[in-house]
Amino acid sequence: MKKILSIFLVTFIVASGFAQTSVCGQYHKKYCKFEDDKGNAWMYNAQSKSGLFNQGMVSKLRCVIYKGMDYRISVCCETIIGEKVNYKIFDARTNEMLFDNKAAEDTQVFEFQSVSTRQLIIEVVVPQGATEKDKHKAADAACVGLLIEHKITDKQGFSNY
Amino acid sequence: MNKSIAILLSALTFATFISCGDGDKSEDMDLMDSVKTEEVSNSPVSETFFQVPSPGEMLTFIKMVGGKSNKNISFLNPPSNEKNYSDSKSKALNFGIYSCDLSYCSIFEIGSESLKYFKTVKILGDQIGVSTAIRPEILKRLEKNIGSPDSLAVLTDDVYFSSFDALESSKQGPTLALVVAGGWLESIFIAVNLAKYEENSPLVERLADQKYTLENMIEFLKKHESGAGVADVRVDFENILSEFNKIAEKNAGASTVDAGKGKMLDGGTQLVMTKENYDAIVNKIKEVRNSYTLTK
Repeated sequence: MKKILSIFLVTFIVASGFAQTSVCGQYHKKYCKFEDDKGNAWMYNAQSKSGLFNQGMVSKLRCVIYKGMDYRISVCCETIIGEKVNYKIFDARTNEMLFDNKAAEDTQVFEFQSVSTRQLIIEVVVPQGATEKDKHKAADAACVGLLIEHKITDKQGFSNY
Repeated sequence: MNKSIAILLSALTFATFISCGDGDKSEDMDLMDSVKTEEVSNSPVSETFFQVPSPGEMLTFIKMVGGKSNKNISFLNPPSNEKNYSDSKSKALNFGIYSCDLSYCSIFEIGSESLKYFKTVKILGDQIGVSTAIRPEILKRLEKNIGSPDSLAVLTDDVYFSSFDALESSKQGPTLALVVAGGWLESIFIAVNLAKYEENSPLVERLADQKYTLENMIEFLKKHESGAGVADVRVDFENILSEFNKIAEKNAGASTVDAGKGKMLDGGTQLVMTKENYDAIVNKIKEVRNSYTLTK
């Protein structure tokens, strides 16, 4: 019975997802930088987030992106198959799917601009994969980081700014 | 023993469902029918999180679209007001407001004022529990970089992000919600003090777009409204949103320009703000902000 209780407690803690930032801390700042930024002016966006998730769980983050800006979203996960984290981007109002990284060779980095300012929902599915159990979390839990960066779009783009 | 465990399990299960329900409900309310839709995954969803851009993003934008030579500080919350904030709600809100004023002074290269605002942010930060995030050595670095606006902006951004992280990891959700609310409101207050209404003005467009950020801000406040004063702020912000909701919308259409390396996301809506909309929003923003800073 004690074992069942322990499992339940761990599940309960993990179920709070992004709210459990203390375990994963600023995971996205440390591990979600995939590209060399030399010569680029990408700026950290405060809408970035890290959290602890059960594998197989879906988590969603609603953010705001402005027209006239370039955005780069990088998703990373600490599982062994972390490079295969699946994420989809939806328009929050219409639920229209705007991007699915499965259709783009599982890319973890997505650069885009938007014709209009809008709310996006970024849906991340934490993959099933091996992680090491440690004192902070169960073996089937994983830190997920979602790094959002932005920069002003070059004038030759669509922006009139 | 078994009975205690059963009670605990029931309580935890109930708490889990309460926590998950909030996110889904608010999201459902925002979703509209669309011709081209895809079902969001059926997998178990933990929660939806509502994010808000930092005040620095708005201030950088203001500077970029024409405020480079601006040095006006007349509308900021004077550091001397700090002693008037005695309850936890006004301390947290004004910590956010002063943090935004600090960013403003740094981004607009008003170095001497940055030092004053840093000291005020430090005083309030110690009182709301983020003293570890605002280390005294930052003041020395600010003094050293007084003539370097880029370095100042990075340092003051760090103050905001470190405070945010400190409140989040110490699970002070209600305080964090008030700090973010204060910071967002002050960035808009600064914008409306520097802007004047012109059709197709980038700054007026960006102000109209704050409708979306405000919607996220309200959802964020709802999650923490059990905390002192949070529900009151949510009501104030819903009053501001009611003015934003009067702005007309039109389809944004598709882009005809190449997005370069990235992808262009077409569609969405464009907000068309009239002078009447603008004036009503400005008045509401000023009314709410001045009620928080106790400015007449």
